[in-house]
Amino acid sequence: MTDPTPQNSLRDTLAERLPRRYRAELRFRAAGLGAVMSAMAILLVLILSILNEGLPAFSVHNLVLPVSLERELVDQEGDASEASLRRGRYGAVLQNAMREEFPAVTDRRELRALFGLYTPLNSTRLMDEVLADPGLVGTTHVFRMPISDELDLYLKGQLVQDRVLPTTGRLELSEQDGSGVAISASAGFADLAGEMRRSIQLEADRLEVRAQSSRQAMQIADADERDRLEAGAARAQRQADSLIAAINAEPGWIALQGELPSILVQADGRILKVSALSTDGRMARGEYLVGEGDAEPVAVWSLYVIDTPETRRRVSDQVIAWTRALESRGRIERGFNHYLFSNADSREPELAGVRGALFGSILTMIITMVLSVPIGVFTALYLEEYAPKNRFTDLIEVNINNLAAVPSIVFGLLGLAVFINAFGLPRSTPIVGGLVLSLMTLPTVIISTRAALKAVPPSIRQAALAVGASKTQTVFHHVLPLAAPGILTGSIIGLAQALGETAPLLMIGMVAFIADAPSLGLEGFSQPATVMPVQIFLWSDAAERAFEARTAAAILVLLALMIGFNALAIYLRRRFERRW
Amino acid sequence: MSVISFIALILLVLVAGGFYYGRIRSIRLVQGDTVLLHSLPNYHGYYAAIWAGLPAFLLLAAYGLFSGFIVDRLAAIELHTQASGLNARYEQLVDTDDRFRDLEQNVILLGARVETINAEIDTARSGVVQPAEQVALLRQQALDLLNQSTRAEEELRLYSQQLAAQVSESARSEGVSLVSLAGFELEQTPRERRTLFLSDARRLTEGELASRDTPELRAAGAVISAYQANFRNFVAVSALVLGFVGLIRAHLKVGPGFRARNSVERLITTVLFISSGLAVLTTVGIVASLLFESMRFFGEVPLHEFLFGLQWSPQIAIREDQIGQTGVFGAVPLFAGTALITVIAMLVAVPIGLFSAIYLSEYAGSRFRLTAKPVLEILAGIPTVVYGYFALLTVGPALRALFGAIGIEDVDLKSALSAGLVMGVMIIPFISSLADDVINAVPQSLRDGSYAMGATKSETISKVIMPAALPGLVGAVLLAVSRAIGETMIVVMAAGQGANLTANPLESVTTITVQIVTLLTGDQNFDSAKTLSAFALGLVLFVLTLIMNMMALRVVQRYREKYD
Repeated sequence: MTDPTPQNSLRDTLAERLPRRYRAELRFRAAGLGAVMSAMAILLVLILSILNEGLPAFSVHNLVLPVSLERELVDQEGDASEASLRRGRYGAVLQNAMREEFPAVTDRRELRALFGLYTPLNSTRLMDEVLADPGLVGTTHVFRMPISDELDLYLKGQLVQDRVLPTTGRLELSEQDGSGVAISASAGFADLAGEMRRSIQLEADRLEVRAQSSRQAMQIADADERDRLEAGAARAQRQADSLIAAINAEPGWIALQGELPSILVQADGRILKVSALSTDGRMARGEYLVGEGDAEPVAVWSLYVIDTPETRRRVSDQVIAWTRALESRGRIERGFNHYLFSNADSREPELAGVRGALFGSILTMIITMVLSVPIGVFTALYLEEYAPKNRFTDLIEVNINNLAAVPSIVFGLLGLAVFINAFGLPRSTPIVGGLVLSLMTLPTVIISTRAALKAVPPSIRQAALAVGASKTQTVFHHVLPLAAPGILTGSIIGLAQALGETAPLLMIGMVAFIADAPSLGLEGFSQPATVMPVQIFLWSDAAERAFEARTAAAILVLLALMIGFNALAIYLRRRFERRW
Repeated sequence: MSVISFIALILLVLVAGGFYYGRIRSIRLVQGDTVLLHSLPNYHGYYAAIWAGLPAFLLLAAYGLFSGFIVDRLAAIELHTQASGLNARYEQLVDTDDRFRDLEQNVILLGARVETINAEIDTARSGVVQPAEQVALLRQQALDLLNQSTRAEEELRLYSQQLAAQVSESARSEGVSLVSLAGFELEQTPRERRTLFLSDARRLTEGELASRDTPELRAAGAVISAYQANFRNFVAVSALVLGFVGLIRAHLKVGPGFRARNSVERLITTVLFISSGLAVLTTVGIVASLLFESMRFFGEVPLHEFLFGLQWSPQIAIREDQIGQTGVFGAVPLFAGTALITVIAMLVAVPIGLFSAIYLSEYAGSRFRLTAKPVLEILAGIPTVVYGYFALLTVGPALRALFGAIGIEDVDLKSALSAGLVMGVMIIPFISSLADDVINAVPQSLRDGSYAMGATKSETISKVIMPAALPGLVGAVLLAVSRAIGETMIVVMAAGQGANLTANPLESVTTITVQIVTLLTGDQNFDSAKTLSAFALGLVLFVLTLIMNMMALRVVQRYREKYD
């Protein structure tokens, strides 16, 4: 009773404090929930962003062309032998097929652009098809090949900003003085003409404002600066004036100049690139990109607006027009991207696939499994069941715990210095990769095996020993089978980790570009290969934009594999787990 | 190889037969009354099988590993003796040739001058005052001299090749055997190309594609293949003999009193022991390889310059004849970059991971836990290269847009911040699962006591559970830091490669691991400081993480309060 505070006031103080304490409680709890939720949200964002990137890569636009395999091009010896067929000029066959589609294209630069619609590597694929069926020689064969990566992106709407506007009424195309004219019965260009006028006006206003602000800045700038600003102001003013002049140059017409969207009119197999619109919206004038001459009025026609100006994109209006024309002729089909699974790596994104990396991963994993699981289990058995307590076993224990925390890249350095430099094993091969990864996986396997062995109750051992089993019989006949599910689960988790590992494999040269998949046999172990995560790393570094989506697609494949592994582990744990 | 596989097949049959024979014999020796045997019949079988198979298979494995090397050696010796006559002729020619002597003297002279000037540079640098211009001048001279001496060496080499060509030309016209010519050619090839010569010869005899095809190579190939065949037959016969000797040994040993089980179990124990030694061997291998290559590096770059230098630009001449570029190996920017990214990662991972663990173990109901735990496990299972891609493609541009919106424009697409944030996400599950274990290890009685005193849950956690769990939590954070330091792919893909010494998280920085990767992918020459520096960095990384792990274990052990 040293505290003189009356009981009443203590209760009051406590009561006063209580809401604050409850609020603190609430805050604490909210912080905890927030942490868990943010972890979940991050996972969601990660998976969604990868799905968003990667899913489009699973489909691809194919060019479906009838190619005529003329005997003098394909089978020059005329004996249909493999040697002769291998020397065939399949590139020329493909080029002829394209020429057939657009007979009007004769200019060499334009032809080159036309043949750019697909990659020349496809001629090898055509050759393979002919070799598989020599009866095709002399016939017209329907050949499917992926369209070039950029056009694929364009068709998926990922390369440029573009729109397809709704059209009504009839449209008539005709040719006057070398340029094409489109006449829409229902003033179908009216909205577009208004929009173009507004955006030209806007651009002109923007330039005026810039000129004005430059002039204002001149007041306070020094001499050098002033000259520069003055020139800038004059240039902006000039551009603004010329824009305004272009609108008003020809009464009743708006000329499309400068950085404006491209407008393509497609009707009756012809494609017109619009260079001027009439103000009443009934007429458009421009040059033919596909086809020529006069056409009957048609009711069905299309209006494409590509908002990204031609100077700021990598596919020209001409190429887009060809693509749209092919599409309307049914020569382009969207299908499943089987190249992603049937091909190995390639410099051309549309032909690149993960087959080589997948095989490399399988071979590497086989080595890792064969080495790390038995050795890891043996080590754990020795430490857990046999080892006497002495300094050497202590050393081994400390060692294993440390190895488990050594950065993976250090194992790569070890592999480089020991396996490649000292032992002279071939670089970039699954065997070296497997060796390195098995050293890395070993601690995981050992630790999980020891946990599984520890979980077997001592009564089992005592019972076995009591009926006269030797130590080794006890361990191998009784303890090991009971610990097997745990060992299996731990090993699978360790292998899944190894499957996703990249850094040590970079050290031993598995980053090379390898265009052939290793064979899934004994000799495959010593062929140069790469593995899934490294393939992802390589593609993420590639310059072509189409590789971005393929990287994400490869990630999805890898994640699917790892989820499969882990699901197997969880299933085995659930199925065989025994609690004592 | 087919002979060897055939032998292996026979050995397999021997093993199976041995097992059967050992078993049958032991049973027959006691007239079927197996109780009289010390060991079960199966153990006698195992014993016979092991003796029939193990030594022979070990021999075959050794053959597989070393045969190429041994055969090459034997063939090289044979070629050398065959070529002795031509060698003598060449020596004589060289000795009497004046031009050769002049060139040789020139090379020696220039080499000596290079030595002298290098010594001068060293004295100038170690002197109290370092006249910069003088050192620069000396450096210039040294470079010139080095150029000259390389040129002189080249000239000497070309001339000696000419002489050798003369000798072999005259020998060929005299009709000397192709084998001696091949030996002479091998003798004249520079040391580093000899393996190529031999492997070409080997390929030609096997009908594979070689880098070139000459009659001499074919002759050498014939010599090699002869040795190969002889050696292979020798090994095959020895393996068979070993197998049969083993069987005979088993035949003699098997009997009622023979302790077959003990022998077999001894072998099993030995195998287990050897496997567990492998973990130690791995560590030894890591330490030895890192130390060995690092020593060579520190022979060229002083240790203090590496540890305290402020500039990192390892661009060094890869080939010997490129002169003029020397790298600077000051690793402080790398350490700083690593530290910066690690700090950012920890700022993300520690609060989220810790609070997740607290919430999941103290507040969450079992159903919420059942959904939240797998989410964290999935985060832990995602390969780091995927995180790297996420940082590169999503986080980097998002950060740039975010900072652009508040008026900060110069944000690099590859920045320390994006790499650090994503690395933090990667480490969240690591911290939360370790912290979960630690918190669960705090006995329930402590919680109950606290609740009995009227404390709220959060008060119990922060005043009772946290202090009790603190050592474990510190250990967890230390392990997480060591993981962040050693993490590679995220930083390789998202942190950049420029060695900036900066504390601004919006700039791109580089880390130890990034530099190891950049230095070791691409052309490598194990004599250049550029390649070797990767191993020095690896050593630093290994030592750092080792210290962290040791500290974590120590902290946990020393400060753990015992509640039993």
